[in-house]
Order: sequence, then C-alpha cells, then structure tokens
Amino acid sequence: MAIMLKFEEREVGKAAAILIPLAALGLAFLVGAFMMLWAGVDPIAGYTAFVTGALGSPGGLTDTLLRMTPFLLMGVGIAFSNRAGVLNIGAEGQYIMGAIAATWVTLALQYVVPAPISVTTAVIMAIIVGAAWATFAGALKAFMGVNEIVTTVIMNWLALRILQWLLRGPLKSPTAQQWPMSPPLEAVYPPLIPGTRLHIGFLIAILAAIASYYLLFHTNTGFKLRVAGQNPAVATYAGYKVRTFFLLSMALSGGLAGLAGAGEVLGVFKFLYEGIAVGLGYTAIIVALVGKNHPIGVIFSAFMFGVIYNGMTYLQAATGLTYTFSKALEGMIYIFVLLAEVLILYRIRVIRVGGE
Amino acid sequence: MGEENGDGKGDVIVLMKGIVKRFPGVVANDHIDLEIRRGEVLALLGENGAGKTTLMNILYGLYQPDEGEIYVEGKRVRFRSPRDAIAHGIGMVHQHFTLVEDMTVVENVILGLRKYGTFPDLKKAAEDITEVAKGVGFKINPWAYIWQLSAGEKQKVEILKALFRKVKVLILDEPTSVLTPQDTKELFATIRKLVARGLGVVFISHKLNEVMEIADRIVVLRRGKVVGRLMREQANPRLLAKLMVGREVFLEIHKPPREPGRVLLEVHGLKVMGDKGLLAVKGVSFRIREGEIVGVAAVAGNGQKELAEALYGLRKVEEGRIIYEGEDITKAPISERIRRGIALIPEERLVYGALPTFTVAENLILEEVDKEPFSVPVPVLTPALGMRALNREGIINYAKKVIAKYRIYPPYPEYPAGKLSGGNLQKVMVARELERGSKLIIAEEPTAGLDVAATEFVRETLVKARTEGSGVLLISSDLSEVLSLSDKVMVMYEGEIVGAFRPGELSIEEIGLMMAGAKRMPEEEVAKIWQ
Repeated sequence: MAIMLKFEEREVGKAAAILIPLAALGLAFLVGAFMMLWAGVDPIAGYTAFVTGALGSPGGLTDTLLRMTPFLLMGVGIAFSNRAGVLNIGAEGQYIMGAIAATWVTLALQYVVPAPISVTTAVIMAIIVGAAWATFAGALKAFMGVNEIVTTVIMNWLALRILQWLLRGPLKSPTAQQWPMSPPLEAVYPPLIPGTRLHIGFLIAILAAIASYYLLFHTNTGFKLRVAGQNPAVATYAGYKVRTFFLLSMALSGGLAGLAGAGEVLGVFKFLYEGIAVGLGYTAIIVALVGKNHPIGVIFSAFMFGVIYNGMTYLQAATGLTYTFSKALEGMIYIFVLLAEVLILYRIRVIRVGGE
Repeated sequence: MGEENGDGKGDVIVLMKGIVKRFPGVVANDHIDLEIRRGEVLALLGENGAGKTTLMNILYGLYQPDEGEIYVEGKRVRFRSPRDAIAHGIGMVHQHFTLVEDMTVVENVILGLRKYGTFPDLKKAAEDITEVAKGVGFKINPWAYIWQLSAGEKQKVEILKALFRKVKVLILDEPTSVLTPQDTKELFATIRKLVARGLGVVFISHKLNEVMEIADRIVVLRRGKVVGRLMREQANPRLLAKLMVGREVFLEIHKPPREPGRVLLEVHGLKVMGDKGLLAVKGVSFRIREGEIVGVAAVAGNGQKELAEALYGLRKVEEGRIIYEGEDITKAPISERIRRGIALIPEERLVYGALPTFTVAENLILEEVDKEPFSVPVPVLTPALGMRALNREGIINYAKKVIAKYRIYPPYPEYPAGKLSGGNLQKVMVARELERGSKLIIAEEPTAGLDVAATEFVRETLVKARTEGSGVLLISSDLSEVLSLSDKVMVMYEGEIVGAFRPGELSIEEIGLMMAGAKRMPEEEVAKIWQ
C-alpha cells in the first residue's frame, strides 16, 4: 500500500499569516541553538547578540532597515510576476544588471553633471536595464512559450558572468588591489537619517511598495493583471491582452530588482564588486511568498528577513562562528519559514493508495 | 410539511439523522434527516445551492458533518474518506467524471482494487467487468480508452466502478446533465434494473420531469432544509416546483410577438477548425436580425461550440466572413467585439467560467472594469497610461443589484466565487453576459445546470433582450428549450446547416432525423428563411 500526500489549498486568517512565520522562526532558533551547542558556542549569547544587534540600538535598527531594502524591492517585484502567473526566478540577475547600469552611468556622469542629476539618471537606467533583462525572459514566454523558470535562471548566470567580466575589464578600477572592483562612486544616495548608513533608497522602497499595492489592488490594470495570472483563458475571454500583462509584470518585477541593484551600489557599497551578488534575489522569492504576494505583506516579511540577515552578522561576531556556519544557520531559518508557509497555505492529507 | 409520507418499500440501508454542515456564511445542511431504502429510487430535489450535493458528499465521506449521525444497516458509522464509505457499500458518481482519460475501461474500473494484485491480470478483470456489465445491460468494450468514450459511456464506466465494488447504495449527482435524451433513457432503464436488484439509488436533480419519471420517493431541499417528503404518486411538477422555489413558478414561457428588425449579424460561408485539427464548421451561412432568437438544434459535437467561439473571437476563422452591423469583424479582437456589444455565455464553464478566488462582484464586472462606475479616471495615471482607479462602491452596488435580480445565493458581493454551488456560479456567468446590455447574445447552454426558477428567469431574460431588440444565438441540447424560445431554428449536423425552419413548421421526428444526419433540407429552402 502506497502513501501519498495530497495538498489542498486552504484559507488562513490574517493572524495566522503573521504568527506562523514567527513560530517557524522560533523553531528554527531552537534547532539553531543545538547547532551552536554542537559547534561549541553559547547559543544564548549568540541570540542575545542577534536580537540586540538587529533591533536593540538605533544603529542596529537602521542597519536592519538598510538590509531589508533590497528584499522589499525585489519581493514586491516578484509579487507582481507571481500575481500575473509568471514564475520569475530572475530577480538576482535583474538586480545585478541594475547595479551594473547604475555604476556605469554614475562613473560616466558623476564629474560631468551635478550629483542629483547623476543619481537620478543612474537610477532610471538601472530600472530600465533591470526591466529589459526581465522582459526578455517574459517575451520568450509570451511569444514562444519558453519556460520562464529556465530562462530566468540562465539569465542570472549570464548577468553574474557579465559582472565578473566587467569588473576585470571596462569597469575595473586601476587602483584595485585585493579583488576586482570598480572605481569609487561619488554621486550617491544621500543618507536618510544623518549619522547612520540608512539611505533614501529605503524610503524609495517603501513608496514603491505602496505604489505597487495601489497598482495591483486599486486600478483596472492591476485587476486585469491578477485575472490574467489566475486564469489566462478567462482573461482572453474577457477581452484582455494576456501577453501584455505577462510582459508588464516582468517589466515591473525587473524594474524593481534593477532599482534594488542601484540602491546597493549607490547607497551601501559606493562601488561595484562581485560581493553584491550574494543571492539576495533568491531570498526575495521567499520574502514574496511569506508576504503572500501582497506588497504591504511584503513590507513586513522584508523586515523580518532584514532582521535575520542583519542579526546573523552580530551573532557571527559575538560567537566567533565562521561566515559559512552563520550562513548555514540562516539557510536553515529560510527552510523552516518556507515549510511553515507550505503548511499553512495547504492542508496536507496523507492518503493511502491501493488496496481494499 | 416535514412529515414522512408513506413508508417506502424496502428496508432502510442508510439513515442520516440531524445532519448539519456549515460553511463560512452559510448553513448548507440544517438538521437533515434522510433514509435510503433497498430497491427504491430516492430523488433529492432542490435548487442550486440547496445542499443536495453537500449532503451526499457527507454520506460519501468527502465532508465531515458538523452535527448529526449516520447509520448503515443499523450501525453507527463515521466516514473519514470515500474509502470508508465504499467499504460500507456506498458509491457515488459525480457530475464531473473521475476517470483517467489515458487508461482503458478495465484499468479505470480496477484502479485501487487490491483483488487483482500489484500486476493485475487485466484479462481476468476484463471478463469480470463484462460479466457485471451484462448484468445491467451495458454494452461496453473493456479495452476502450476513456477518451474514446462519449459522456454517456463514461458515466456507465463510473457506474460499473461502483457496482464492481459491490455497493448497496449508489448516489448519482445530476447524472443527466451531460447526457443526450437517448442516453438519459438508457440511464433510467439502468436505474430500474439496479433497484430491481435491491440497490438503493439516490438521484440528485433539479429537473422536475426527470424526478417525476424515475423517483419512487422524493425529498425536496430548500436552503439546506427539508421542505417536503413525498411519494411519487403524491407529487406533480407544479407542487414540486413550488416546494423547491418557495413560490409559484410558471413553467411555460411568455413570448410576445415581435417583428424582426434590421440584420444584426451576417455569416458567410464560415469555416472553423476544431480542437483535433479538422474542420468543425464547414461553411455555414446565416443571419440574425434584431429582435429575434435563432436557435441551433444539434447533438453535441456537431460544430455549434466552434461556431459560437468563432463568432466571439476565441477561435480563428479559416474561411468566410462575419459581418456585424454592416462591418466585417472576422478578424476583430475579442475586446472590440465586447465593445461592440457581443456577449458569449460559454459552454466550457470550467475553462472560461469564473475566477474562484475573486469575489462574486469582481467576477460580474470582468469585461466592464474599464467603465464607470466600476472604475474612475484618476489624475496623471489616466491621461498618461490609461490606468483607472477601481471604484469599490460602484462595483459592490452593481453586484448587489445583480445578486438580488438573479437570486444568487449566498447573497454576498464579496463572497469568493469558488465557494458558490455550480448553479449559482453559472448564474454569475449568465448575469455577467446578460446584464451589460449586449446587442448580440451568443448563449451556449444558458440553462444547463440551472434550477427551475433560475431557468425560468434566464429564459425570460433572453426573451426580454430579444423583445427589446437584441439578437440571440441560442445553442442548447434541450430541444424543447430551442423550440419554445426561438423565432428561427437551424439544425446543424457535422458542421453544416442541414435545415432551417420556424418552430411549429416541422415535427419533432423530422427535426430528430435532421439532427441525426438522416435527412436534410434543400439549400434553397434553408437560404429562404434568412431573407
């Protein structure tokens, strides 16, 4: 007799949607505590550093907000494509391309035009390049039926290789010593709160999330996009141009990822190097999922992921664990949260197959 | 009402006591008592959403009741899944078949049966199946693939599946909704044989004439409650309709005379491809005028579906022209046809039907979302991008009106459409198409699956639209519906129009012969009617 799992979608209340990821987080911490004991460090000290580091001081909190910014932008972008029924795994690549575009434009303009003009142009170009990078994959799906999961993943690698090549070629800083990097960027995002690292990119991300919410749930365009995503046949029947909405969702998704890329180089690092590509775009897929593909929900889930990301660096510093160990711990938290999501979104029934 | 009238014939197999089932916002079953007896056809009659299917899904183990008890042959049972129900001799044939299309009949029937082992002896199984089939008079090839079978044959396979598992009670959920009149007759003969062998049969339906024909005992449900229990001899269609609906219903259609106006739609030599890559519509020409209903009489699969989809723009036209209000729309996109006032009530409800996670209100305004009062212009976005803001109040108010008019239940504009019963969902689709003041209404099976009151209402609405000057193309497998509603009728056979006439001009026999392809009218005579 075989055992089969059956996934049935179920409705969840708002409270459950918030509590379950938090419960998953708690559970992950518990398991993480055992991992830390096994590694011979004190988990209590580690978690104290995690919490106080990420939330306990103005500096830590603003750093958390800084870390959540790319998650928020890319999470909202992925929410768009998910709502339109396109599975965009390509935020990472779109983010890289946005970062490249912003760097290139800034290097070209920063000593030629006033800083605000340079920054604005860089941001706009980052959005356009990110959007184009994503729309290409969207067009392959819309016009030729090529699976978007495959194309977006391939294009992530392509973007990474382009980044590596540029840093060793056209964008290479003549003074770079240890690792390939671009010359420093001077025309950058102004800080949002003086004295902290938090830049106006955070404000832009919050505004983008609110605008996305409005677009998705309060306009006819968003309505049609959601209809096309849920059932393309119904959308066709209702006279909507389904392809347009595939492409639009990818353009928005890629544009927001490109904006995230611009934010990292113009707001955080102030130069371009390979270290910007650490898989934030993949994590953003979970951020969108936890946020229920709802821009306002994504604000909260991005904050949670910002806390985890930022807190981990404090945990690592306090316990003296290796970077890889703390990353493994972080990955484990993601798996717990992801599993919890699946468990609340679906009722899983064990059914016995075969036999009388 | 509510008293048990007559004891029925056989002994009780299943007893359901005080069954309550609640869904968010609705009590689907409200303290229902029910007996199913040996050798008897029990009809469960009720409107869409009355709770018939819910009650039987509880008996079949698909839902757990919130309250109440179930006894099988005197013993209290709790079914956690259909497996438990089947183990206790209860089988169910759903409205939508649960067969594996790419498997043969024999594989489908023995699927999940342990008797034949891990590597089943299909030959032996086929013999056993043929034996069981013979017992109920089914002629069925056990080696045929399911996709090769007609709806009627698939249903027989479903019944065989149940019989093969030695059921004592067989539940049939709206079994005739997918059948031709001929298949229905055969099904009824089968049901008679089954009860003669001592089975209890539950026949879920909202069709009065069928219930009157096949039932021994009738239980009428309304809004989740039992409102009548009668023996067939005590019942008549008028009484049953009144019990179901809760008020008097007029079973005939009032159709005022109307002179047809100018030509609305002209179709010239239209050829359309079917799904299998063969021509499904082979050069049809006809006209629809303002203020007339043109009916299509045809057995399912003779090109009427493809014709309707081509007129609406869902299917490409291979050859020929579609002229609407004097303009060629053969290649116009769907959005333009909608804007010009063409509506389609689609046959493929599961494909084009509705958006289950969207609200009823949102489903109702699908095609109209760009218009006032459902959306309003906003500064910057509208002039620059053509974007408009949704107007929730306008959408809800409109939905409230439509819900009241079509008596959609439960009456909440923000209820998720996916939670409506099949008939209520269909009301949403019909309302969506009829309420936007369309000039040409293409109605595919507009009343299939609707209860008496809703059927009456949809027919009235179609006639009213026609009387007010719209043109209607009515495609229905219910011949009496076509004949009673239409001003002109065309008969389609294998993608061609083989006859056209005004209702009353031809006998049912003649129409039947044409539908079967045994007779056809001369082309000049067909052409004459469109003049």
